[in-house]
Amino acid sequence: MSSVVSARNVSKLFGNVRAVDNVSFDIEKGRITGLIGPNGAGKTTLLKAVLGLTDCQGSLTVLGLDPFRQRKELMQNICFIADVAVLPRWIRVSQLLEFIERIHPRFSRKRANELLGRTKIMPSARVKELSKGMVTQLHLSIVTAIDARLLVLDEPTLGLDIIFRKEFYGNLLGDYFDEDRTILITTHQVEEIENLLTDIMFINDGQLVLDASMDELPDRYVEVMASAEQADRARQLNPIFERDVFGKKVLTFEGIGREQLQGLGEIRTPDIADLFVAKVKGATA
Amino acid sequence: MINTQIALVRRELWEHRSIIVTPIVIGVIVAMMSVTGQVAVSAMDHAVDIALLGASNVGEHERAIALNVLLISISSLFVLAMWVLTVFYTLDALYAERKDKSILFWRSMPVTDAETVISKLLTAIVVIPIVSFAIIAVTHLVVLVISSVWVGIRGANAWHLVWQSAPLADNWLATLTFVLALPLWLSPFIGWFLLVSAYTRRSPLLIAFLPIIILPMLERSLLGTSAFAEAIFVRTGAIPLFGGRAGSDFFEKEENLRRLAQSGDSALSIIDLGGFLLSPGLWLGLLVCGLFTAAAVYVRRYRGES
Repeated sequence: MSSVVSARNVSKLFGNVRAVDNVSFDIEKGRITGLIGPNGAGKTTLLKAVLGLTDCQGSLTVLGLDPFRQRKELMQNICFIADVAVLPRWIRVSQLLEFIERIHPRFSRKRANELLGRTKIMPSARVKELSKGMVTQLHLSIVTAIDARLLVLDEPTLGLDIIFRKEFYGNLLGDYFDEDRTILITTHQVEEIENLLTDIMFINDGQLVLDASMDELPDRYVEVMASAEQADRARQLNPIFERDVFGKKVLTFEGIGREQLQGLGEIRTPDIADLFVAKVKGATA
Repeated sequence: MINTQIALVRRELWEHRSIIVTPIVIGVIVAMMSVTGQVAVSAMDHAVDIALLGASNVGEHERAIALNVLLISISSLFVLAMWVLTVFYTLDALYAERKDKSILFWRSMPVTDAETVISKLLTAIVVIPIVSFAIIAVTHLVVLVISSVWVGIRGANAWHLVWQSAPLADNWLATLTFVLALPLWLSPFIGWFLLVSAYTRRSPLLIAFLPIIILPMLERSLLGTSAFAEAIFVRTGAIPLFGGRAGSDFFEKEENLRRLAQSGDSALSIIDLGGFLLSPGLWLGLLVCGLFTAAAVYVRRYRGES
Protein backbone atom coordinates (compact mmCIF):
# COMPACT_ATOMS: atom_id res chain seq x y z
CA MET A 1 0.00 0.00 0.00
CA SER A 2 1.61 3.21 -1.11
CA SER A 3 -1.08 5.48 0.33
CA VAL A 4 0.13 7.46 3.27
CA VAL A 5 -3.38 8.52 4.18
CA SER A 6 -6.40 6.57 3.08
CA ALA A 7 -9.89 7.76 3.97
CA ARG A 8 -13.09 5.91 3.08
CA ASN A 9 -16.44 7.48 3.98
CA VAL A 10 -15.02 9.32 6.92
CA SER A 11 -17.55 11.33 8.92
CA LYS A 12 -17.42 13.18 12.17
CA LEU A 13 -20.52 14.36 13.96
CA PHE A 14 -20.79 16.93 16.69
CA GLY A 15 -24.32 16.48 17.90
CA ASN A 16 -26.35 16.91 14.73
CA VAL A 17 -23.69 18.84 12.88
CA ARG A 18 -21.65 16.92 10.35
CA ALA A 19 -18.25 18.56 10.62
CA VAL A 20 -16.86 16.03 8.18
CA ASP A 21 -19.39 14.40 5.91
CA ASN A 22 -18.61 11.13 4.16
CA VAL A 23 -15.19 12.07 2.86
CA SER A 24 -12.99 9.69 0.86
CA PHE A 25 -9.51 10.38 -0.47
CA ASP A 26 -5.96 9.03 -0.71
CA ILE A 27 -2.70 10.82 -0.23
CA GLU A 28 0.28 9.14 -1.85
CA LYS A 29 3.86 9.13 -0.68
CA GLY A 30 6.02 12.07 -1.75
CA ARG A 31 3.15 14.45 -2.38
CA ILE A 32 2.45 17.89 -0.97
CA THR A 33 -1.28 18.21 -0.59
CA GLY A 34 -3.05 21.43 0.21
CA LEU A 35 -6.33 21.17 2.10
CA ILE A 36 -8.24 24.35 1.42
CA GLY A 37 -11.54 25.39 2.90
CA PRO A 38 -13.33 28.29 4.54
CA ASN A 39 -13.47 28.62 8.33
CA GLY A 40 -15.67 25.98 9.88
CA ALA A 41 -15.55 23.79 6.76
CA GLY A 42 -14.17 20.83 8.68
CA LYS A 43 -10.47 21.20 7.81
CA THR A 44 -9.22 21.14 11.35
CA THR A 45 -11.54 18.30 12.33
CA LEU A 46 -10.30 16.26 9.39
CA LEU A 47 -6.67 16.97 10.32
CA LYS A 48 -7.39 16.05 13.92
CA ALA A 49 -8.82 12.73 12.76
CA VAL A 50 -5.72 12.11 10.62
CA LEU A 51 -3.53 12.90 13.64
CA GLY A 52 -5.49 10.60 15.93
CA LEU A 53 -6.61 13.45 18.14
CA THR A 54 -10.25 12.68 17.54
CA ASP A 55 -12.22 9.57 16.73
CA CYS A 56 -14.34 9.38 13.58
CA GLN A 57 -16.71 7.14 11.68
CA GLY A 58 -15.77 5.34 8.51
CA SER A 59 -12.38 3.90 7.73
CA LEU A 60 -9.28 6.02 8.10
CA THR A 61 -5.77 4.66 7.99
CA VAL A 62 -2.60 6.69 8.22
CA LEU A 63 0.65 4.90 7.42
CA GLY A 64 -1.33 1.69 7.78
CA LEU A 65 -2.36 2.53 11.36
CA ASP A 66 -5.63 3.45 12.99
CA PRO A 67 -4.74 6.98 14.07
CA PHE A 68 -7.01 7.21 17.11
CA ARG A 69 -6.19 3.80 18.54
CA GLN A 70 -2.50 3.69 17.65
CA ARG A 71 -1.61 7.31 18.26
CA LYS A 72 1.72 6.60 19.95
CA GLU A 73 3.05 4.44 17.09
CA LEU A 74 1.66 6.94 14.61
CA MET A 75 3.37 9.90 16.27
CA GLN A 76 6.75 8.26 15.72
CA ASN A 77 6.15 8.77 12.02
CA ILE A 78 4.05 11.90 11.94
CA CYS A 79 4.89 15.43 12.91
CA PHE A 80 2.58 18.36 13.04
CA ILE A 81 2.82 22.07 13.39
CA ALA A 82 -0.43 23.84 14.11
CA ASP A 83 -1.35 27.31 15.07
CA VAL A 84 -3.21 25.80 18.01
CA ALA A 85 -0.42 23.42 19.06
CA VAL A 86 2.01 25.92 20.44
CA LEU A 87 5.28 25.07 22.11
CA PRO A 88 5.10 25.43 25.90
CA ARG A 89 6.18 28.93 26.81
CA TRP A 90 8.07 28.03 29.96
CA ILE A 91 10.47 25.54 28.39
CA ARG A 92 14.06 26.28 27.38
CA VAL A 93 15.18 25.39 23.87
CA SER A 94 17.81 23.02 25.23
CA GLN A 95 15.26 21.33 27.51
CA LEU A 96 12.89 20.89 24.62
CA LEU A 97 15.59 19.22 22.52
CA GLU A 98 16.62 17.01 25.43
CA PHE A 99 13.04 15.94 26.06
CA ILE A 100 12.37 15.05 22.45
CA GLU A 101 15.68 13.24 22.16
CA ARG A 102 14.69 11.03 25.09
CA ILE A 103 11.21 10.13 23.91
CA HIS A 104 11.40 10.27 20.13
CA PRO A 105 13.25 7.38 18.48
CA ARG A 106 13.55 9.24 15.18
CA PHE A 107 14.81 12.57 16.42
CA SER A 108 18.37 13.66 15.66
CA ARG A 109 19.54 16.28 18.13
CA LYS A 110 22.64 16.86 16.04
CA ARG A 111 20.53 17.77 13.04
CA ALA A 112 18.32 20.04 15.15
CA ASN A 113 21.36 21.86 16.52
CA GLU A 114 22.69 22.24 12.99
CA LEU A 115 19.42 23.79 11.82
CA LEU A 116 19.10 26.02 14.89
CA GLY A 117 22.70 27.14 14.39
CA ARG A 118 21.53 28.95 11.28
CA THR A 119 19.02 30.97 13.29
CA LYS A 120 19.33 33.48 16.09
CA ILE A 121 17.72 31.08 18.56
CA MET A 122 19.92 30.48 21.62
CA PRO A 123 19.73 27.07 23.32
CA SER A 124 19.38 28.72 26.71
CA ALA A 125 16.43 30.87 25.66
CA ARG A 126 12.97 30.15 26.92
CA VAL A 127 10.23 29.85 24.31
CA LYS A 128 8.39 32.84 25.81
CA GLU A 129 11.43 35.00 25.08
CA LEU A 130 11.30 34.21 21.36
CA SER A 131 9.28 36.09 18.78
CA LYS A 132 6.42 34.27 17.07
CA GLY A 133 8.50 33.84 13.95
CA MET A 134 11.37 32.34 15.92
CA VAL A 135 9.03 29.92 17.69
CA THR A 136 7.85 28.70 14.30
CA GLN A 137 11.49 28.43 13.13
CA LEU A 138 12.22 26.38 16.24
CA HIS A 139 9.24 24.13 15.65
CA LEU A 140 10.15 23.59 12.01
CA SER A 141 13.76 22.82 12.96
CA ILE A 142 12.57 20.18 15.42
CA VAL A 143 10.20 18.67 12.90
CA THR A 144 12.88 18.67 10.21
CA ALA A 145 15.22 16.83 12.57
CA ILE A 146 12.62 14.10 13.06
CA ASP A 147 12.80 11.45 10.39
CA ALA A 148 9.04 11.30 10.00
CA ARG A 149 7.07 10.20 6.97
CA LEU A 150 4.11 12.56 7.17
CA LEU A 151 4.14 16.20 8.17
CA VAL A 152 0.83 17.91 8.88
CA LEU A 153 0.80 21.69 8.85
CA ASP A 154 -2.29 23.54 10.06
CA GLU A 155 -2.00 27.28 9.39
CA PRO A 156 1.72 27.09 10.16
CA THR A 157 2.51 30.66 9.21
CA LEU A 158 -0.46 32.42 10.78
CA GLY A 159 0.58 35.76 12.20
CA LEU A 160 4.09 35.70 10.76
CA ASP A 161 5.53 38.46 8.66
CA ILE A 162 6.31 37.94 5.01
CA ILE A 163 10.03 37.28 5.52
CA PHE A 164 9.44 34.50 8.01
CA ARG A 165 6.72 33.04 5.81
CA LYS A 166 8.96 32.91 2.73
CA GLU A 167 11.78 31.47 4.79
CA PHE A 168 9.46 28.90 6.34
CA TYR A 169 8.39 27.48 3.00
CA GLY A 170 11.92 27.75 1.65
CA ASN A 171 13.25 25.68 4.55
CA LEU A 172 10.35 23.28 4.28
CA LEU A 173 11.27 22.46 0.69
CA GLY A 174 15.03 22.77 1.08
CA ASP A 175 15.64 20.95 4.37
CA TYR A 176 12.61 18.84 4.99
CA PHE A 177 11.01 17.57 1.87
CA ASP A 178 12.16 14.59 -0.20
CA GLU A 179 10.40 11.89 -2.17
CA ASP A 180 9.97 9.68 0.91
CA ARG A 181 8.18 12.35 2.84
CA THR A 182 4.65 13.59 2.52
CA ILE A 183 3.16 16.90 3.53
CA LEU A 184 -0.45 17.78 4.23
CA ILE A 185 -1.02 21.48 4.67
CA THR A 186 -3.88 23.87 5.32
CA THR A 187 -3.67 27.62 5.10
CA HIS A 188 -5.71 30.65 4.23
CA GLN A 189 -2.77 32.19 2.43
CA VAL A 190 -3.23 29.95 -0.58
CA GLU A 191 -1.22 32.11 -2.98
CA GLU A 192 1.92 31.48 -0.97
CA ILE A 193 1.78 27.72 -1.24
CA GLU A 194 0.32 27.44 -4.69
CA ASN A 195 3.68 26.72 -6.30
CA LEU A 196 4.60 24.23 -3.61
CA LEU A 197 1.66 21.92 -3.95
CA THR A 198 1.47 18.75 -6.00
CA ASP A 199 -2.14 18.06 -5.04
CA ILE A 200 -5.10 19.98 -3.85
CA MET A 201 -8.29 19.25 -1.94
CA PHE A 202 -11.14 21.65 -1.36
CA ILE A 203 -13.44 21.08 1.56
CA ASN A 204 -16.71 22.90 2.14
CA ASP A 205 -19.47 22.12 4.64
CA GLY A 206 -17.64 18.97 5.58
CA GLN A 207 -17.61 17.65 2.04
CA LEU A 208 -14.79 17.26 -0.39
CA VAL A 209 -15.62 19.43 -3.41
CA LEU A 210 -12.34 18.94 -5.25
CA ASP A 211 -9.56 16.39 -5.05
CA ALA A 212 -7.05 16.71 -7.87
CA SER A 213 -3.38 16.88 -8.68
CA MET A 214 -2.06 20.28 -9.69
CA ASP A 215 -1.09 18.84 -13.07
CA GLU A 216 -4.69 17.96 -13.83
CA LEU A 217 -6.05 21.40 -13.08
CA PRO A 218 -5.33 23.07 -16.47
CA ASP A 219 -7.14 20.23 -18.21
CA ARG A 220 -10.14 20.31 -15.93
CA TYR A 221 -10.58 24.00 -15.26
CA VAL A 222 -10.47 26.96 -17.58
CA GLU A 223 -11.23 30.58 -17.02
CA VAL A 224 -12.34 32.97 -19.72
CA MET A 225 -12.23 36.72 -19.43
CA ALA A 226 -14.98 37.88 -21.70
CA SER A 227 -16.69 41.09 -22.67
CA ALA A 228 -20.39 41.40 -21.85
CA GLU A 229 -21.51 40.18 -25.26
CA GLN A 230 -18.96 37.33 -25.44
CA ALA A 231 -20.13 36.33 -21.97
CA ASP A 232 -23.65 35.68 -23.23
CA ARG A 233 -22.28 33.12 -25.66
CA ALA A 234 -19.96 31.65 -23.08
CA ARG A 235 -22.85 31.13 -20.66
CA GLN A 236 -24.28 28.58 -23.09
CA LEU A 237 -21.42 26.30 -22.05
CA ASN A 238 -22.58 26.19 -18.39
CA PRO A 239 -19.83 27.91 -16.46
CA ILE A 240 -19.65 26.87 -12.81
CA PHE A 241 -19.06 30.42 -11.68
CA GLU A 242 -19.02 33.96 -12.95
CA ARG A 243 -17.52 37.10 -11.53
CA ASP A 244 -16.86 40.69 -12.54
CA VAL A 245 -13.36 42.03 -13.03
CA PHE A 246 -12.84 45.60 -14.25
CA GLY A 247 -16.13 45.66 -16.15
CA LYS A 248 -15.41 42.31 -17.80
CA LYS A 249 -16.87 38.93 -16.96
CA VAL A 250 -14.67 36.08 -15.81
CA LEU A 251 -16.32 32.71 -16.30
CA THR A 252 -14.97 29.50 -14.85
CA PHE A 253 -15.60 26.23 -16.64
CA GLU A 254 -15.18 22.65 -15.55
CA GLY A 255 -14.58 19.87 -18.06
CA ILE A 256 -14.77 22.12 -21.11
CA GLY A 257 -11.98 21.88 -23.67
CA ARG A 258 -9.99 25.01 -24.40
CA GLU A 259 -10.74 24.74 -28.10
CA GLN A 260 -14.46 25.16 -27.39
CA LEU A 261 -13.76 28.47 -25.72
CA GLN A 262 -11.73 29.95 -28.59
CA GLY A 263 -12.89 33.41 -29.50
CA LEU A 264 -14.81 33.96 -26.27
CA GLY A 265 -12.08 36.00 -24.66
CA GLU A 266 -8.79 35.59 -22.90
CA ILE A 267 -8.31 31.96 -21.81
CA ARG A 268 -6.22 30.94 -18.84
CA THR A 269 -5.99 28.45 -15.96
CA PRO A 270 -7.63 29.85 -12.82
CA ASP A 271 -5.38 30.28 -9.83
CA ILE A 272 -6.29 28.32 -6.74
CA ALA A 273 -7.92 31.13 -4.84
CA ASP A 274 -10.25 31.92 -7.76
CA LEU A 275 -10.95 28.27 -8.40
CA PHE A 276 -11.76 27.82 -4.74
CA VAL A 277 -14.24 30.67 -4.77
CA ALA A 278 -15.76 29.28 -7.97
CA LYS A 279 -16.18 25.79 -6.54
CA VAL A 280 -17.51 26.90 -3.16
CA LYS A 281 -19.71 29.77 -4.27
CA GLY A 282 -20.71 28.08 -7.50
CA ALA A 283 -22.00 25.13 -5.50
CA THR A 284 -24.33 27.31 -3.47
CA ALA A 285 -25.47 29.50 -6.37
CA MET B 1 8.95 2.74 29.18
CA ILE B 2 11.29 3.69 32.01
CA ASN B 3 13.19 6.13 29.80
CA THR B 4 9.93 7.74 28.78
CA GLN B 5 8.90 8.11 32.41
CA ILE B 6 12.27 9.63 33.31
CA ALA B 7 11.94 12.14 30.48
CA LEU B 8 8.36 12.96 31.44
CA VAL B 9 9.14 13.39 35.14
CA ARG B 10 12.12 15.63 34.34
CA ARG B 11 9.77 17.65 32.22
CA GLU B 12 7.49 18.08 35.25
CA LEU B 13 10.40 19.34 37.33
CA TRP B 14 11.35 21.83 34.60
CA GLU B 15 7.84 23.18 34.44
CA HIS B 16 7.03 23.12 38.16
CA ARG B 17 10.18 24.53 39.66
CA SER B 18 8.30 25.17 42.90
CA ILE B 19 8.72 21.45 43.68
CA ILE B 20 12.39 22.15 44.33
CA VAL B 21 12.34 25.85 45.11
CA THR B 22 9.69 25.76 47.87
CA PRO B 23 11.49 23.30 50.17
CA ILE B 24 14.79 25.10 49.55
CA VAL B 25 13.22 28.40 50.61
CA ILE B 26 11.84 26.76 53.76
CA GLY B 27 15.26 25.24 54.46
CA VAL B 28 16.92 28.64 54.16
CA ILE B 29 14.31 30.22 56.46
CA VAL B 30 14.77 27.46 59.04
CA ALA B 31 18.55 27.89 58.92
CA MET B 32 18.25 31.66 59.31
CA MET B 33 15.83 31.24 62.18
CA SER B 34 18.20 28.94 63.97
CA VAL B 35 21.02 31.49 63.61
CA THR B 36 18.94 34.44 64.85
CA GLY B 37 17.40 32.30 67.56
CA GLN B 38 20.77 31.32 68.90
CA VAL B 39 22.11 34.85 68.71
CA ALA B 40 19.02 36.09 70.57
CA VAL B 41 19.37 33.41 73.25
CA SER B 42 23.01 34.34 73.69
CA ALA B 43 21.90 37.61 75.23
CA MET B 44 20.92 35.64 78.32
CA ASP B 45 24.54 34.97 79.01
CA HIS B 46 24.66 33.08 82.25
CA ALA B 47 21.40 31.25 81.81
CA VAL B 48 22.72 29.83 78.55
CA ASP B 49 25.92 28.61 80.11
CA ILE B 50 23.94 26.93 82.83
CA ALA B 51 21.62 25.34 80.29
CA LEU B 52 24.58 24.03 78.30
CA LEU B 53 26.14 22.72 81.46
CA GLY B 54 22.89 21.02 82.24
CA ALA B 55 22.68 19.58 78.75
CA SER B 56 26.19 18.19 79.08
CA ASN B 57 25.26 16.44 82.27
CA VAL B 58 21.95 14.85 81.43
CA GLY B 59 22.00 11.39 79.92
CA GLU B 60 22.55 10.54 76.29
CA HIS B 61 18.92 9.42 76.09
CA GLU B 62 17.53 12.78 77.19
CA ARG B 63 19.73 14.70 74.76
CA ALA B 64 18.62 12.41 71.96
CA ILE B 65 14.97 13.05 72.82
CA ALA B 66 15.53 16.80 72.73
CA LEU B 67 17.33 16.66 69.39
CA ASN B 68 14.74 14.27 67.99
CA VAL B 69 11.99 16.73 68.84
CA LEU B 70 14.00 19.47 67.12
CA LEU B 71 14.49 17.37 63.97
CA ILE B 72 10.84 16.31 63.87
CA SER B 73 9.56 19.85 64.29
CA ILE B 74 11.76 21.00 61.40
CA SER B 75 10.50 18.12 59.24
CA SER B 76 6.86 18.86 60.03
CA LEU B 77 7.20 22.32 58.48
CA PHE B 78 8.36 20.69 55.26
CA VAL B 79 5.64 18.06 55.36
CA LEU B 80 3.00 20.74 55.63
CA ALA B 81 4.52 22.63 52.70
CA MET B 82 4.87 19.40 50.76
CA TRP B 83 1.17 18.74 50.98
CA VAL B 84 0.24 22.28 49.91
CA LEU B 85 2.72 21.89 47.03
CA THR B 86 1.15 18.56 46.03
CA VAL B 87 -2.35 20.07 45.98
CA PHE B 88 -1.29 22.95 43.77
CA TYR B 89 0.89 20.78 41.55
CA THR B 90 -1.77 18.16 40.87
CA LEU B 91 -4.42 20.81 40.21
CA ASP B 92 -2.10 22.46 37.68
CA ALA B 93 -0.59 19.35 36.10
CA LEU B 94 -3.25 18.71 33.44
CA TYR B 95 -4.75 22.20 33.47
CA ALA B 96 -1.76 24.37 32.53
CA GLU B 97 -1.09 22.48 29.30
CA ARG B 98 -4.62 23.23 28.16
CA LYS B 99 -4.52 26.81 29.32
CA ASP B 100 -1.29 27.59 27.42
CA LYS B 101 -2.45 25.47 24.45
CA SER B 102 0.67 23.33 24.51
CA ILE B 103 -1.37 20.14 24.97
CA LEU B 104 -1.52 19.50 21.22
CA PHE B 105 2.23 19.85 21.01
CA TRP B 106 2.70 17.32 23.82
CA ARG B 107 0.20 15.04 22.16
CA SER B 108 2.15 15.28 18.88
CA MET B 109 4.95 13.42 20.63
CA PRO B 110 4.99 9.61 20.65
CA VAL B 111 3.77 9.34 24.24
CA THR B 112 0.40 7.91 25.27
CA ASP B 113 -2.03 9.85 27.41
CA ALA B 114 -1.72 7.16 30.07
CA GLU B 115 2.07 7.57 30.19
CA THR B 116 1.72 11.32 30.56
CA VAL B 117 -0.87 11.17 33.34
CA ILE B 118 1.09 8.44 35.18
CA SER B 119 4.21 10.61 35.08
CA LYS B 120 2.24 13.35 36.81
CA LEU B 121 0.92 10.92 39.40
CA LEU B 122 4.45 9.64 40.01
CA THR B 123 5.68 13.18 40.41
CA ALA B 124 3.05 13.84 43.07
CA ILE B 125 3.40 10.54 44.94
CA VAL B 126 7.12 9.80 44.66
CA VAL B 127 9.15 12.71 43.31
CA ILE B 128 7.79 15.53 45.47
CA PRO B 129 8.28 13.50 48.71
CA ILE B 130 11.81 12.43 47.77
CA VAL B 131 12.86 15.96 46.82
CA SER B 132 11.33 17.26 50.05
CA PHE B 133 13.07 14.56 52.07
CA ALA B 134 16.46 15.32 50.54
CA ILE B 135 16.09 18.98 51.43
CA ILE B 136 14.83 18.10 54.94
CA ALA B 137 17.99 16.05 55.50
CA VAL B 138 20.23 18.85 54.26
CA THR B 139 18.39 21.35 56.47
CA HIS B 140 18.84 19.06 59.48
CA LEU B 141 22.57 18.95 58.82
CA VAL B 142 22.78 22.71 58.35
CA VAL B 143 20.90 23.38 61.60
CA LEU B 144 23.09 20.91 63.47
CA VAL B 145 26.24 22.53 62.06
CA ILE B 146 24.98 25.97 63.09
CA SER B 147 24.20 24.62 66.56
CA SER B 148 27.66 23.04 66.81
CA VAL B 149 29.38 26.28 65.92
CA TRP B 150 27.30 28.11 68.50
CA VAL B 151 27.87 25.47 71.17
CA GLY B 152 31.56 25.55 70.30
CA ILE B 153 31.72 29.32 70.69
CA ARG B 154 30.10 29.00 74.10
CA GLY B 155 32.95 26.68 74.99
CA ALA B 156 31.03 23.42 75.19
CA ASN B 157 31.81 20.17 73.40
CA ALA B 158 29.73 20.20 70.21
CA TRP B 159 30.73 16.72 69.14
CA HIS B 160 29.54 15.29 72.40
CA LEU B 161 26.46 17.51 72.81
CA VAL B 162 25.16 17.51 69.25
CA TRP B 163 26.59 14.95 66.88
CA GLN B 164 26.94 12.01 69.22
CA SER B 165 23.41 12.49 70.47
CA ALA B 166 21.43 13.30 67.35
CA PRO B 167 19.60 10.16 66.20
CA LEU B 168 20.04 11.15 62.56
CA ALA B 169 19.84 7.80 60.77
CA ASP B 170 16.82 6.72 62.78
CA ASN B 171 15.08 10.04 62.31
CA TRP B 172 15.79 10.16 58.57
CA LEU B 173 14.55 6.67 57.96
CA ALA B 174 11.36 7.49 59.86
CA THR B 175 10.95 10.79 57.99
CA LEU B 176 11.47 9.13 54.62
CA THR B 177 8.92 6.45 55.48
CA PHE B 178 6.46 9.09 56.58
CA VAL B 179 6.82 11.39 53.57
CA LEU B 180 6.43 8.42 51.23
CA ALA B 181 3.49 6.96 53.15
CA LEU B 182 1.55 10.20 53.41
CA PRO B 183 0.84 10.73 49.68
CA LEU B 184 -0.09 7.04 49.37
CA TRP B 185 -2.57 7.46 52.21
CA LEU B 186 -3.94 10.69 50.74
CA SER B 187 -3.83 9.32 47.18
CA PRO B 188 -7.62 9.51 46.66
CA PHE B 189 -7.29 13.27 46.92
CA ILE B 190 -4.33 13.27 44.53
CA GLY B 191 -6.32 11.25 41.99
CA TRP B 192 -9.30 13.54 42.40
CA PHE B 193 -7.16 16.65 41.92
CA LEU B 194 -5.65 15.19 38.74
CA LEU B 195 -9.10 14.47 37.38
CA VAL B 196 -10.31 17.98 38.17
CA SER B 197 -7.18 19.38 36.55
CA ALA B 198 -7.82 17.35 33.40
CA TYR B 199 -11.48 18.21 33.27
CA THR B 200 -12.20 21.72 34.46
CA ARG B 201 -12.27 24.70 32.16
CA ARG B 202 -11.55 27.18 34.93
CA SER B 203 -10.59 27.59 38.60
CA PRO B 204 -9.45 24.05 39.41
CA LEU B 205 -8.95 24.92 43.08
CA LEU B 206 -12.57 25.91 43.50
CA ILE B 207 -13.91 22.97 41.50
CA ALA B 208 -11.76 20.55 43.48
CA PHE B 209 -12.81 21.71 46.94
CA LEU B 210 -16.43 22.59 46.29
CA PRO B 211 -17.68 18.97 46.24
CA ILE B 212 -15.65 18.19 49.36
CA ILE B 213 -17.60 20.93 51.14
CA ILE B 214 -20.98 20.60 49.46
CA LEU B 215 -21.39 16.81 49.29
CA PRO B 216 -21.30 16.31 53.10
CA MET B 217 -23.85 19.09 53.47
CA LEU B 218 -26.11 17.51 50.84
CA GLU B 219 -25.74 14.11 52.43
CA ARG B 220 -26.65 15.50 55.82
CA SER B 221 -29.73 17.31 54.63
CA LEU B 222 -30.99 14.65 52.23
CA LEU B 223 -30.05 11.42 53.95
CA GLY B 224 -29.35 12.64 57.45
CA THR B 225 -26.07 10.69 57.46
CA SER B 226 -22.48 11.83 57.39
CA ALA B 227 -20.57 8.93 55.87
CA PHE B 228 -18.83 11.06 53.25
CA ALA B 229 -17.69 13.67 55.74
CA GLU B 230 -16.40 10.95 58.06
CA ALA B 231 -14.55 9.22 55.24
CA ILE B 232 -12.78 12.48 54.41
CA PHE B 233 -12.18 13.30 58.05
CA VAL B 234 -10.66 9.91 58.87
CA ARG B 235 -8.49 10.15 55.75
CA THR B 236 -7.06 13.57 56.51
CA GLY B 237 -7.16 13.18 60.29
CA ALA B 238 -5.05 10.13 60.93
CA ILE B 239 -2.76 7.94 58.93
CA PRO B 240 -2.54 4.36 60.24
CA LEU B 241 1.25 4.51 60.28
CA PHE B 242 1.76 4.87 64.01
CA GLY B 243 0.30 1.64 65.32
CA GLY B 244 -3.07 1.16 66.87
CA ARG B 245 -6.17 1.88 64.94
CA ALA B 246 -6.44 4.83 62.69
CA GLY B 247 -8.27 7.61 64.41
CA SER B 248 -7.96 10.85 66.20
CA ASP B 249 -7.95 9.14 69.61
CA PHE B 250 -4.31 8.13 69.19
CA PHE B 251 -3.13 10.39 71.99
CA GLU B 252 -5.94 9.32 74.30
CA LYS B 253 -4.79 5.74 74.45
CA GLU B 254 -2.49 5.18 77.39
CA GLU B 255 -0.41 2.50 75.69
CA ASN B 256 0.29 4.80 72.76
CA LEU B 257 1.46 7.54 75.09
CA ARG B 258 3.64 5.14 77.04
CA ARG B 259 5.20 3.85 73.87
CA LEU B 260 5.81 7.38 72.72
CA ALA B 261 7.49 8.34 75.99
CA GLN B 262 9.69 5.27 75.95
CA SER B 263 10.77 5.74 72.41
CA GLY B 264 11.31 9.48 72.43
CA ASP B 265 14.78 9.11 70.99
CA SER B 266 13.64 6.89 68.16
CA ALA B 267 11.11 8.20 65.67
CA LEU B 268 11.39 4.92 63.80
CA SER B 269 10.12 2.86 66.72
CA ILE B 270 6.70 4.50 66.66
CA ILE B 271 6.28 3.73 62.97
CA ASP B 272 4.32 0.61 62.19
CA LEU B 273 5.00 0.07 58.49
CA GLY B 274 3.46 -3.41 58.44
CA GLY B 275 0.27 -2.13 60.02
CA PHE B 276 0.16 0.66 57.43
CA LEU B 277 0.71 -1.64 54.48
CA LEU B 278 -1.90 -4.09 55.77
CA SER B 279 -4.56 -1.50 56.48
CA PRO B 280 -7.55 -1.89 54.16
CA GLY B 281 -7.95 1.88 54.14
CA LEU B 282 -4.65 2.27 52.29
CA TRP B 283 -5.61 -0.13 49.52
CA LEU B 284 -9.12 1.17 49.24
CA GLY B 285 -7.64 4.65 48.88
CA LEU B 286 -5.21 3.50 46.19
CA LEU B 287 -8.09 1.91 44.33
CA VAL B 288 -10.04 5.17 44.42
CA CYS B 289 -6.91 7.00 43.26
CA GLY B 290 -6.53 4.52 40.40
CA LEU B 291 -10.11 5.09 39.28
CA PHE B 292 -9.74 8.87 39.34
CA THR B 293 -6.44 8.63 37.47
CA ALA B 294 -7.96 6.40 34.80
CA ALA B 295 -10.76 8.93 34.43
CA ALA B 296 -8.16 11.69 34.02
CA VAL B 297 -6.46 9.69 31.23
CA TYR B 298 -9.83 9.21 29.56
CA VAL B 299 -10.66 12.91 29.74
CA ARG B 300 -7.29 13.91 28.28
CA ARG B 301 -7.65 11.41 25.46
CA TYR B 302 -11.19 12.40 24.49
CA ARG B 303 -10.90 16.10 25.20
CA GLY B 304 -10.32 16.90 21.52
CA GLU B 305 -13.79 15.57 20.78
CA SER B 306 -15.73 18.62 21.81
